[in-house]
Amino acid sequence: MNLLKLEFDKCRHRGIVLICVAVLAVQVVWMWVFLIRQASDSMPPDWMLLLYNLALVDAIVLPLSVSTLVSRNCELEHRGNTWKLLETLATPSQLYTVKLIWGALVLAGLLVVRSCLFLVLGVAVGLSGSVPVGRLVLFTLISWTVSMMVCALQQGLSLRFANQAAPLISGIFGSFMGLLSLLFPAWLIRCVPWGYYGLMSLVGMDWNETTRVTRFFWRLPQMTDVVLLLVWVLVFLVVGRILFVKKEV
Amino acid sequence: MNIIETCDLSKQYGNILRVSHLSLQVPEGSIYGFLGPNGAGKSTTLKMILGLVHPTMGEIHMLGRQMEQKNRLMLLRQVGSLIESPSYYGHLTGEENLKVVQTLRNVPEQQIQEVLHIVRLDGQKHKKVSQYSLGMKQRLGLASALLGYPKLLILDEPTNGLDPAGIQEMRELICSLPQRFGMTVVVSSHLLSEIDQMADHVAIIRDGELVFQNTLEQLHHKSCPHLALRTTNNPLTRHLLSEQSIPCQEEGDYLILPILSDEVTAQLVFLLTSHRLGIVRLEERRKSLEDIFLELTGKERSL
Repeated sequence: MNLLKLEFDKCRHRGIVLICVAVLAVQVVWMWVFLIRQASDSMPPDWMLLLYNLALVDAIVLPLSVSTLVSRNCELEHRGNTWKLLETLATPSQLYTVKLIWGALVLAGLLVVRSCLFLVLGVAVGLSGSVPVGRLVLFTLISWTVSMMVCALQQGLSLRFANQAAPLISGIFGSFMGLLSLLFPAWLIRCVPWGYYGLMSLVGMDWNETTRVTRFFWRLPQMTDVVLLLVWVLVFLVVGRILFVKKEV
Repeated sequence: MNIIETCDLSKQYGNILRVSHLSLQVPEGSIYGFLGPNGAGKSTTLKMILGLVHPTMGEIHMLGRQMEQKNRLMLLRQVGSLIESPSYYGHLTGEENLKVVQTLRNVPEQQIQEVLHIVRLDGQKHKKVSQYSLGMKQRLGLASALLGYPKLLILDEPTNGLDPAGIQEMRELICSLPQRFGMTVVVSSHLLSEIDQMADHVAIIRDGELVFQNTLEQLHHKSCPHLALRTTNNPLTRHLLSEQSIPCQEEGDYLILPILSDEVTAQLVFLLTSHRLGIVRLEERRKSLEDIFLELTGKERSL
């Protein structure tokens, strides 16, 4: 607990809250613009459309956001040459774990606030249909799990490289791939870690080429995708941890 | 009792043995100077002692116990360290930095103020460390190492990059630690003068190998004064000296003799001249510590 409290103490004045606010602002603005455009269409916006678009926005925004947050947390150790101090007071394994838990808590906080914000926003703009609280909770959990996979990958990179350009480039690449992967067939998306934001979306879309009508429908993530997601998480965690623990300072 | 003992300690990177079969013995309560030219393997050795680098071979005994992965952190609770450059969080104040270490070491919070006072940083504790000078950062690093008042302090080149006033201040601080807090201090440096002014025990390494380990007094003893004599016939002079039971050894064109009293020296000169031997030179010599250090570490090497 001491170590975890220290992580939060060390991250003071590191702009973590500011980054989280920026992420929320981007998502709200994006969704606000979408809802305004949608209001002028014949089809009134509903909760299904909101969750479909949120998954899309997540795929674009979260990979870079997660990489930035993780990088801010790991960079302070590289910059201050603190590994050789910390590793005389705690094991590398403990240091890796506590940074991961820090990431998990920050992302959980960010995504819970995000979901609450959109719940309020949805009610305020009068989205049609009843409020899908259960689906919103599940969506938050999925976003957090996929973000944790990205977090494990980014933490591995941020701890490995003192220069944070490599992890940040990975974050930019992830955001690009997250968007691009929405156009991939399902089997290919499964091979792209950042593609799971879209793959695990709770809303599916069916565009009929003949009638040119788009239909949205509720769905649940496939068990195969859930298992594959957990495999990705495990791979990034194990590899990242081994690389960090074996590294001599 | 030795607070640190290493046995056959070695570290290999690729095909190069950076530290080779090092057997160090650090007596408790001493200031142990660890001396060697740049790149000799000092930092690697100290990192191995702290468990930051895994030895390729050898054993480390610390505080009477063999250091292993499972008891490393337990032993290191009684060790403070400052390795190479100081570790700090630039975006936090000096006091906040010490709070991090204090929490990790689980020592009373009041010690933060005490160590700040010891290193004379109490006036700067609310300043962000990124605004500190290098000397202040080094002092903060020393304050971190002092938290918990450990039995053993390992300082790797603590005066690196400091100005002369800072060096003097750091030196005084280090010298006072064994008396004030009963600590054993291991301090590495590539400067002999530095160690000469601080340590009471010295180890010298060259290319990862231990070339000297003893008290500073013994090192000084190596520089004891002697007489250098050169005559027109050194072999005959040597014969005459042995007849007088005066030990000597040949070194180039000179015969090296121990320091003799003025009376004996005068008698010796008279003896040599009575045998028609011309005295070309008779001089008192003393090897400086630098000479000895250069001899031990290899003269051709740059320090």
